[in-house]
Amino acid sequence: MASTKPIKEIAYYALHILIVLAIVSPLLFALVSSVRPLNDIFKYVSPVTWRTFIPTEITLQAYVDLFKEWAFGTILFNTLLVAVATVLFGIIIGSMAAFSFAKFEFKGKSLLFGFVLLTFMIPFEVIAIPLYRLIDQLNWIDSYYALIVPAVANGLVIFLYRQFFMDLPNALIESALLDGARWWKIYTAIIMPLCKPVSISAGLMLFISQWESFLWPLLVTHSQKFRVIQVALSDFTTEHSTLWNEMFAMAVIAVIIPILILLPLQRYFVQGVTNTGIKE
Amino acid sequence: MAKVKYTPYLFLLPAVLLLLIFKMYPIVLGFKTSLYTESFIGNIESFAGFDNYTGLFTDTVFWKSVYVTLFLNVFINPIQVVLSFILAILLNKKLKGISLFRSINLLPVVVSLPIACILWNIMLSPEQGIVNSILNFLHLPQQPFLASQHQAIWIIIAIATWKGVGYWSVFLLAGLQEVPDSLYEAANIDGASKWEQFKNVTFPLMKRPLTFVTVTDTVTNFLLFAPMYLLTKGGPQNSTNVLMLESYNSAFVYSDPGRASAIVMLLLILILTIIALQFRMLRSKV
Repeated sequence: MASTKPIKEIAYYALHILIVLAIVSPLLFALVSSVRPLNDIFKYVSPVTWRTFIPTEITLQAYVDLFKEWAFGTILFNTLLVAVATVLFGIIIGSMAAFSFAKFEFKGKSLLFGFVLLTFMIPFEVIAIPLYRLIDQLNWIDSYYALIVPAVANGLVIFLYRQFFMDLPNALIESALLDGARWWKIYTAIIMPLCKPVSISAGLMLFISQWESFLWPLLVTHSQKFRVIQVALSDFTTEHSTLWNEMFAMAVIAVIIPILILLPLQRYFVQGVTNTGIKE
Repeated sequence: MAKVKYTPYLFLLPAVLLLLIFKMYPIVLGFKTSLYTESFIGNIESFAGFDNYTGLFTDTVFWKSVYVTLFLNVFINPIQVVLSFILAILLNKKLKGISLFRSINLLPVVVSLPIACILWNIMLSPEQGIVNSILNFLHLPQQPFLASQHQAIWIIIAIATWKGVGYWSVFLLAGLQEVPDSLYEAANIDGASKWEQFKNVTFPLMKRPLTFVTVTDTVTNFLLFAPMYLLTKGGPQNSTNVLMLESYNSAFVYSDPGRASAIVMLLLILILTIIALQFRMLRSKV
């Protein structure tokens, strides 16, 4: 028995390393290519040598040019603004609704909750085209409203908060009521400070979904002024298909920002994800 | 608690209002649009009943698109669910440094599908891609990848799998972690083989997360759109022209919102039917 265990462990490590290679190879490829001079990017692809994988000359010119020549600052600003605004409003509106579902008895409660569940089962892609026509009628095409407002109310976020609020003891609220606190005060001063972990999970979900969103901004923004990163990247690949190093630099930034946010908070992300998928 | 008559409704109001306007109303609007045809001159809409739907049934492009969508899903969903399950089992092993592997596994979650497509597309370029160059180095034949009508759909499956499996395995890993160790110990004492343990202990307890992953993954893949839009435009020879792309093209390329909405409505019905079937199968299987 003792001799089979290390062999098994080595096999597991080998498998894990293979998986890691499969996961990181395109990302490393983008990173390495982004710091190569433009002429070097495809120079060493064939035949395969050590130069294929390790850059011999390193430059950050692509990153500099991105901001200097392609107004990448605006794109980054737009994407962050849209994501952060969605997170803020999404958390407020979602937790308010969840508070109501978890701590009140009222007429039509189960009907309304059923409605919320129904809305998060409707995939966004299915409503994208009619929603586009609605946004068009509202005159919101090419505006931050179009990017933010439809994403703010999210059934999944309401669901997450409700789970958490249901576990909070009612005594907490009752004693505050006896002290004469108003409901709004209870929500802002007692409930919300307690639910930081859920707020982080919900915030991460909203942030990532906005950061990655592509189809919707593609439909509702046409001018450069409201470009977000995913659309900018796909435009860049079709319009400036020879500026490889800048394209890679843009991809690296588009990946690194959410990684830097997700990795330190991954515990909350995993918690949030699993709370929506496993528990009732 | 007599004075809380309106309070719960006030707390609900913003969310419910926004969901009504931006989630429910578009569905109604979509259904309505699918019953109208729009003339090319001006914005005159005329009621067409189910003409948009009956039109689709005699449309060979539509049927080819239905075939491609079903073909894609028959393969991509089992592949992704099985790989996610294997990955979750591997990530559940008690090894030194396992938390590092778990973190790395989360990386594709924040790589958007468009970025994954763009990067893989460059690596898989038939002429100057690094994958063909490595194949060459290993004395293997070079491949056309996305340029081939037989390979394109498989490349899209591979890219979507690269992006998706890490995310789905998070759900399954959480499920595995909730299986109590004592059950395995008991099975060990009873002399159950590894396979018997998996079949009789792990699998039954994993039904809920497995059902969730299967259903959500299926919905995601039926609506998969970005890879085809970015990489193949539905080609070569319509071999990757899924229903979602056909609908997008109807709406924004051919300016036929009636046809686009009818396709989406049929897609929705198709998805709901398949979800109902999956629920039945996963519930009954012991």
